[in-house]
Amino acid sequence: MSIFHSMNTTASALTAQRLRMDVISSNIANVDTTRAKQVNGEWEPYRKKSITLKENEGQFSSFLNMAMGKTVKAGVGNGVKVTSIKEDTETPFKLVFDPTHPDANEDGYVQMSNVDLLKEMVDLISASRSYEANITAFNANKSMLTKALEIGKG
Amino acid sequence: MNLFGGTISKLEKGLSYATLKNKAITQNIANVDTPNYKTKEVSFQDIFNEAKESSISANRTDARHYDFSIEIGTSGVYSNENFRTRPNGNAVNMDAEQAKLAENTIYYNALIERLNSKFSTLNTVVKGGR
Repeated sequence: MSIFHSMNTTASALTAQRLRMDVISSNIANVDTTRAKQVNGEWEPYRKKSITLKENEGQFSSFLNMAMGKTVKAGVGNGVKVTSIKEDTETPFKLVFDPTHPDANEDGYVQMSNVDLLKEMVDLISASRSYEANITAFNANKSMLTKALEIGKG
Repeated sequence: MNLFGGTISKLEKGLSYATLKNKAITQNIANVDTPNYKTKEVSFQDIFNEAKESSISANRTDARHYDFSIEIGTSGVYSNENFRTRPNGNAVNMDAEQAKLAENTIYYNALIERLNSKFSTLNTVVKGGR
């Protein structure tokens, strides 16, 4: 429980939201990618990626202290952490009719990535708003700490 | 006679509560996109008010009796489980959190103001009114 605890919490959230934005950027950039990786010798289109967030509940020591009955302020937590970046294997690839495309099959259809631009844009705005909210929290925190330094100066 | 009286220690308790509450709010805002996260709240105000209103005193005649003194460490953080949630199980209400954040900052600043004016009063006394 240091005085910069809240700032570290905010920092973890900012990092997570930034990573989320990076992943969204990657999705948008690869919306038309038909050759992302090779599976069994055949090229597969890009699969939409998304991150999973989890509450960072604190270190081992705090749990140990709590279990041993020492007076520890019940866990406020340590911010948020990214547990994984997962590929979307459920949404099917989009089929576009384009016989001239090098990756077209016998019927003239091309498999496109399963990224939905609309969803990505909504997600991007959500991430950017969360980022701003955390910045507000950080500034409030900073002003409180600065104020604390003024104790006894008057 | 106690030079500083009880005011400063009470203000200190208030500051400690505001700091903890700030941590909880920060945590809530940080986890606004975490699935199944439930809002954390701090319940110190009640304890603090109780301690202020009635200073309970009790005699311990046996070592096994509970101590009546209220410590700063008793501030509790609890998760608000029965709250309206979003489809992903997250219960953070961003508007409420921002309001709480602003309120808490002002509360904290007010406590600091009081603390400073208390010190300046003492300073006046020490200097003999000069």
